Amino acid sequence: MSLLELRNISMDFGGLRAIDSLSLSIDEGQILGLIGPNGAGKSTAFNCVAGVYKPTSGEIWFDGADITGAQPWDLCRAGLARTFQIVKPFASKTVLYNVMVGAFARTDRTDEAEAIALDVLKSLHLDRKKDFKSGALTIADRKRLEIARAMATKPKLLLLDEVMAGLRPTEVDEMIDVFRTVRDSGVTIFVIEHIMRAIMALSDELVVIQFGRKISEGKPEAVAKDENVIKAYLGDEYVAS
Amino acid sequence: MTPQSFKKTGLALLVLTALALPLILRSPTYLHILIMLYLYAYMTTTWNLVGGFAGVLPLGHSVFVGIGAYTSTVLWLQWGISPWIGMLVGGCLAGFVGYLIGKPTLKMRGAYFALATMAFVEGVRVIVENVDKLGPFKLNGPRGLNIPPLPAGESSFLAFQFSTKEPYYYIILFMLMGVAYLTWRLSRSKLGYSLSAGGEEPEAAEALGVNVAKCKVTAMVLSAFLTALAGTFLAQMTLFIYPKSVLTLDLSFELAFIALIGGRGSLAGPIIGALMLRPVTEFSRIYLSATLPGMHLILLGVILIVVMLYQPRGLSEPLTRLMSRLQDRICSTKTGGAQ
Repeated sequence: MSLLELRNISMDFGGLRAIDSLSLSIDEGQILGLIGPNGAGKSTAFNCVAGVYKPTSGEIWFDGADITGAQPWDLCRAGLARTFQIVKPFASKTVLYNVMVGAFARTDRTDEAEAIALDVLKSLHLDRKKDFKSGALTIADRKRLEIARAMATKPKLLLLDEVMAGLRPTEVDEMIDVFRTVRDSGVTIFVIEHIMRAIMALSDELVVIQFGRKISEGKPEAVAKDENVIKAYLGDEYVAS
Repeated sequence: MTPQSFKKTGLALLVLTALALPLILRSPTYLHILIMLYLYAYMTTTWNLVGGFAGVLPLGHSVFVGIGAYTSTVLWLQWGISPWIGMLVGGCLAGFVGYLIGKPTLKMRGAYFALATMAFVEGVRVIVENVDKLGPFKLNGPRGLNIPPLPAGESSFLAFQFSTKEPYYYIILFMLMGVAYLTWRLSRSKLGYSLSAGGEEPEAAEALGVNVAKCKVTAMVLSAFLTALAGTFLAQMTLFIYPKSVLTLDLSFELAFIALIGGRGSLAGPIIGALMLRPVTEFSRIYLSATLPGMHLILLGVILIVVMLYQPRGLSEPLTRLMSRLQDRICSTKTGGAQ
């Protein structure tokens, strides 16, 4: 059964159609990657799911319920967590404090929230830095914190918006391991990513969009050979004829 | 000595000193200055619930002081209802008004909330100044309300009037300790975490399940309720209230000044701020009010600019650092001595 389903989503900004009747679905336990050239509408699609924008038409179903246009905090409580492309830590607060804010989505008690947060930090190997001010972390650790916060809300589905951007190759490898850990704990992942090496290694399924339309989908190896995809990324002359 | 017990000892000493002060300080003038200091520390602490934790800048908190003062006074003068009950009624009324102001304005980001609160308090002041009677309630316009004092030398707890300063001192001290404890508890609760997070990065907080606007409104209602209690206290202290004394921007700004200079969002900030700035206000009123009325606000402004330049997070931060260094030294020498 699919956990998240986009049914004919369209999103207009004034006269510009950023997404044109896009449909896709993610099965439970899967990692689905959404890729496409710059300006293809990836982040817009992502923001429609995350409750930032209400799509102009179409429906979004999550876990058997229509969530089109729901507020971000309600989505979080329903089990849909997200990270931000530009990380937004609560910079004046400690790492533990940051993660506890997320943990409070599942409990009203401070000691329980702290226990949840410490668990998550441990599983992401951030527990040694729990008392650091989050503003003082390296970019890789801030991205890890962003994921830790989202994981503390105990999501069923994790939306990742370019979490690898700006990381060094070794850090990308570490991050891939982090996502595998997350997936193995039973969380479904919907990821937007520019770093091909990472998304090819991670995704079970890929969806490619261009100009707001879906141009290809399937297993990563198949998608990489798809003519439409090669055209979209490299231009017509690179298609082997 | 562990850091924990160091903090506890320090706090206990502070509370004991505050409790014992009236035994040493017999002069009513000094007691009055202390009472006003605690009153401002109290009002700034309640201001801080919104202005500090929720990360917005309320510039109209005197409207709640005014509601508290007028409600209890009107109830006492017209129906003989004890100001203690009036205090709670005023608090509830202020909480309701806080909800009405906060609901539409706290969704807005930036300066709109500050401007809306300022406009509201001015509006209320103009209304109160221009009506003698609001429905069945006598407000007496700009002349204000006089609470007839009890015969000389008499005290009555029920009437909230005492012939000496000491009872007022202890009442406001307990109110201050209560609200400080409440703030401490709040900062460690779900609401406290949600408020701080929403104040710092609203989008990220919302994605983590925090309904930021709702949390801010809750804080506003709580803050309004508690601030109004101070209004009743002020009315019973001075026995005379008029629109320009309890419904002015002067008072609203002073609370914001104290919090910003002391350190908003921290527990100690408002108390440190009041401790340092109330004397400035008092002495400028005593010595300069004849020649330069309103000088205290100018002085506060200058202090605020200097503090913002060198300690943008307020004075409580360097003082906290100093305290923790002192704590480290004392704790380490103590354990060193034991070894």
